[in-house]
Amino acid sequence: MLSKSLLKATIKQNFMVFIIIVAVLMVYLPIIITMYDPSAQDSLNKILETMPQGLIAAMGFKEIGGSLIDFIGSYFYGFLILLLPMIYSIIACNRCIASHVDKGSMAYLLSTPNNRGKIARTQALFIIISMTIMIGIGTIVGIVLSNVSFPGELDVKTFLLLNLGALLLYFAVTGIGFFASCLFNDTKSSLMVGAGLPVIFLVIQMISDVGEKTRFLKNFTMFTLFDSDKIISGESYIPQFIALIVIAMVMYGLGINIFKKRDLPL
Amino acid sequence: MTIIKIKDLTKDYGDHKGIFDLTFNIEEGEVFGYLGPNGAGKTTTIRHLMGFLTPDKGEAHILGLDCTKSSADIMKHLGYLPGEIAFFDGMSGMEFLNFMAEMRGLTDTTLRDKLIKLFELDTKGKIRKMSKGMKQKLGIVCAFMHDPKVLILDEPTSGLDPLMQKNFADMILEEKKKGKTILMSSHSFEEIERTCDRVGIIRQGELVAIENMHDLKQKRRKIYLVTFDTPASASHFADSSGFDILEVENNIVKLSVLGNVSEFIKTLHNYTVLDLNTEISSLEDIFMHYYGNKPQSASNM
Repeated sequence: MLSKSLLKATIKQNFMVFIIIVAVLMVYLPIIITMYDPSAQDSLNKILETMPQGLIAAMGFKEIGGSLIDFIGSYFYGFLILLLPMIYSIIACNRCIASHVDKGSMAYLLSTPNNRGKIARTQALFIIISMTIMIGIGTIVGIVLSNVSFPGELDVKTFLLLNLGALLLYFAVTGIGFFASCLFNDTKSSLMVGAGLPVIFLVIQMISDVGEKTRFLKNFTMFTLFDSDKIISGESYIPQFIALIVIAMVMYGLGINIFKKRDLPL
Repeated sequence: MTIIKIKDLTKDYGDHKGIFDLTFNIEEGEVFGYLGPNGAGKTTTIRHLMGFLTPDKGEAHILGLDCTKSSADIMKHLGYLPGEIAFFDGMSGMEFLNFMAEMRGLTDTTLRDKLIKLFELDTKGKIRKMSKGMKQKLGIVCAFMHDPKVLILDEPTSGLDPLMQKNFADMILEEKKKGKTILMSSHSFEEIERTCDRVGIIRQGELVAIENMHDLKQKRRKIYLVTFDTPASASHFADSSGFDILEVENNIVKLSVLGNVSEFIKTLHNYTVLDLNTEISSLEDIFMHYYGNKPQSASNM
C-alpha cells in the first residue's frame, strides 16, 4: 500500500524546511505566552486602541477577554498559525508530486515496481503525518509553557480543540496543494493553484476582519471554517470541522485518482 | 516468444505530432534499434511502453502484460534509461543507486558494483554536480543493476565518450548472449549498427520500415572519399572503374558503394591511395538510400 523507501527519501528531502518552520513557530509561541499578563490586559487593549484599527484587526488581534486561552487564541491562532505552517504546506505539497514530474525524476520512481497509486498515497501520507507532527509540537509546547509560566491558567480542553481545528484546516489546505501537485505537469502551475488559492484565502480572511463593510467576504474564504473565537467561546464548530474533513478527503482522493490515470510527460 | 508487442498504437497530439498506428513486435533475445530523427515519436512510443501515457488507440504489451494497466508488474522485469536524465535533488550517486535498489526491493549489489567499475562511475559526488556523461553512466548502471529481462533504453550513448560507448556496446552484446530483450532508440545509425539485430525506422510518428540489420547493411550505400597520389590517377580511376562516382576534385574522388566493398578494394589495389575515408551518413542519407527520394522526408529531416 505504501512505499517505505520513498517515505524515507521524502522525509529526508523535507526535513530542513520542516525544522525551520517549527523553529520559527517555537520562537513566536513562547514569546506570546510569556507576554500574557492578566493585570496588564487592559493596558494592552489600550495600546491596541491607539493603533490603526483596520491593521490590528487584519492581523487577527482584537480586543480580547482576559483569559490565557483568549490571549493565545487571538495572538497565535488568529494569524501566525495561518501563515507559517502554510509556507511548509506549499513547499512540501509542490515537492511531493509536481516537482518530480517537472524535473523528470518521477520517471525513475515509476520505473520501479511501484504503481502510481502507491507513490501518491505515500506522498499524501507524508504530508498528513508531517503536518500533524508540526501542529502537535505546537500543542505540546503550548501546554507545557503555559503550565510553567502560568500554572493552571490554560483551559487545556479548549486549547486542544483550537489545535484540532488548526490541524483540520491544514488537512484541507494541504489537500488543495496536493491536488494541484497531482494535477499539473509543472511546478509553476502547481504552485499557482496550490499556493495561490490558500494565499488568496488568507488575504480575503484578513480583509474581511478589517470591518463590518468587508465582513461579507468571510463567505469566500475557507479559513472561515477555522474560527478561533467561535471555538474558544464554544459556539458552533463541529459543522465547520466536518466541512474541513470533507474538503481534505475530497482533495486528497481526487488528487490520487487523477494522478493514477493521467498522462505524464516523463 | 514475443516480449514487446505494439499494436495500432496511436497518440495524436494534433498538428501531425504524436505516433500513428504503430505496429511491431520484439522477440525474446532480440536487440531492436529504434531509429528516427528528433521529434519523430521515439520517446512517445517509449512513454507508452513505460505506462506514462495512455494511448488514444491501440495497445502495448510487455511480457504479455498491458503497459497501461500493469506497469508496476512489468517494472519487476524491466530496466529503463530515460532520454532526459533527471534525478533526485541533492543525492550522491551512491545514495541514488541505494534508493532505487530499495524501491525495487533489490538487496544483491554484486552486479551494480561490477557496472560501477566497468563504467568508471564516481558515485561519491552529488548528482547535481556531475557532468552529463557521468549522469548518463549513472542512469545506465541504474537500468542494468537488477539484471532485468527486458531493457528499454532511450538514446543510451548520448553524452558518453568513445571508450564508454564501446564499453556500452560490449555490454549490450553480453546481455544479448544472456537472452535479454533490448529496445534502444537512437537518432544515429552508427550508434546502433554494432549491436542491433533489427531496426525500426520511425518518421513523423509513423513506422516507415523494419529491417533486419544484415539486410540493411546489404542495401546500404556508403560514401567513400579516396585520395589518390595524382589528379591523373584520380580521373583514371573515376573514368575506368565503373563505380558510382559522385564527385572528382583534384586527386580526391567521392563515390558511393552499395553493400559489399570487396570489388572496390580490389580496384583500389591498382592505384596508390594516400587516404581513404568514409563519410558518416546522416539519418537523412539513410532514408534517401533506402527509400529513394521522398521529397517530404528529405525536407523534414
